[in-house]
Amino acid sequence: MRLEKCWFCSSTVYPGHGIQFVRNDAKVFRFCRSKCHKNFKMKRNPRKVKWTKAYRRLHGKDMTQDATFEFERKRNRPERYDRNVTENTLKAIKKIDKVRVDREARHHKERMKGKKEQLRKEGVRELDQSIHMIKAPAALLEDPSLTIPKLKVKVSQDKAEATRMEE
Amino acid sequence: MAASNSSSKLFRVGRSLLGGLSNNAFAGSRPSSELARLDFLSQQTRTFIQMRTNLKVVDNSGAKRVMCIQALKGDKGARLGDTIVASVKEAHMGGKVKKGDVCYAVVVRAAMQKGRCDGSEVKFDDNAVVLINKQGEPIGTRVFGPVPHELRRKKHLKILSLAEHIA
Repeated sequence: MRLEKCWFCSSTVYPGHGIQFVRNDAKVFRFCRSKCHKNFKMKRNPRKVKWTKAYRRLHGKDMTQDATFEFERKRNRPERYDRNVTENTLKAIKKIDKVRVDREARHHKERMKGKKEQLRKEGVRELDQSIHMIKAPAALLEDPSLTIPKLKVKVSQDKAEATRMEE
Repeated sequence: MAASNSSSKLFRVGRSLLGGLSNNAFAGSRPSSELARLDFLSQQTRTFIQMRTNLKVVDNSGAKRVMCIQALKGDKGARLGDTIVASVKEAHMGGKVKKGDVCYAVVVRAAMQKGRCDGSEVKFDDNAVVLINKQGEPIGTRVFGPVPHELRRKKHLKILSLAEHIA
């Protein structure tokens, strides 16, 4: 039994799920569900579709390099059954999973934090560089030539009354 | 050459049919993704291998293209791994079979998806056969392209051992 990866979204394809397409050059494309299969038939590139793993990796949304990924690997040699090894593996799976989730959370936190700091820094720099472009309100009060003069518009009185009549 | 011609014609017919369908059923449903929808609909619907289906011959028996004249199993037609009776429509000079011969053939690739024993599905690029004699032994001595492992269940072990790739 082997858990394959979906060609489109890189999720795990469990036995009995999905569809696989065999091209004439014997390349096998496995899909986890009809959504991925349809997207493949539409000739979409998984790197350009936002919900796929390929996109998220490419755009730095997810962790790309981590020691916890090394455990999940394709091995062609079958392992001989050993009770102790199995027990230890089952324990390790839980632990590794926890570590990976923690690291992913940290990665997400780091990613979100970095943006805010950068925005603040950019704002400060803009303030430093372009503060001379605006004048303080006190200066405007003293020197009216710096502001746009106010235009006075005449409002006819009878028209206002006419509208009131209609109401 | 002729095979490719006929296939392109088929494709065109399918496209026009589906174009008509889209006018009726999907008129004004979603104008934003019109391109994607058209692309999706231009996929030909794949069906059983039935009488008058043209199939590619992927062995060195000498035949190039055969036409199905009878499916030996199933009401609707043959599927991946089934045996059919076929008439040779195009053949190479000096091969073991000639144009007009009637022979048995095993469907080794089908574009219509077929359920696997574990519940997933498999489909191929084209419809292809390997010619066999009445005893079920292949006429040719080579098999080109990928073949499914389901042939083992159908007792076509010779074809499996001759095949380049098993999918």
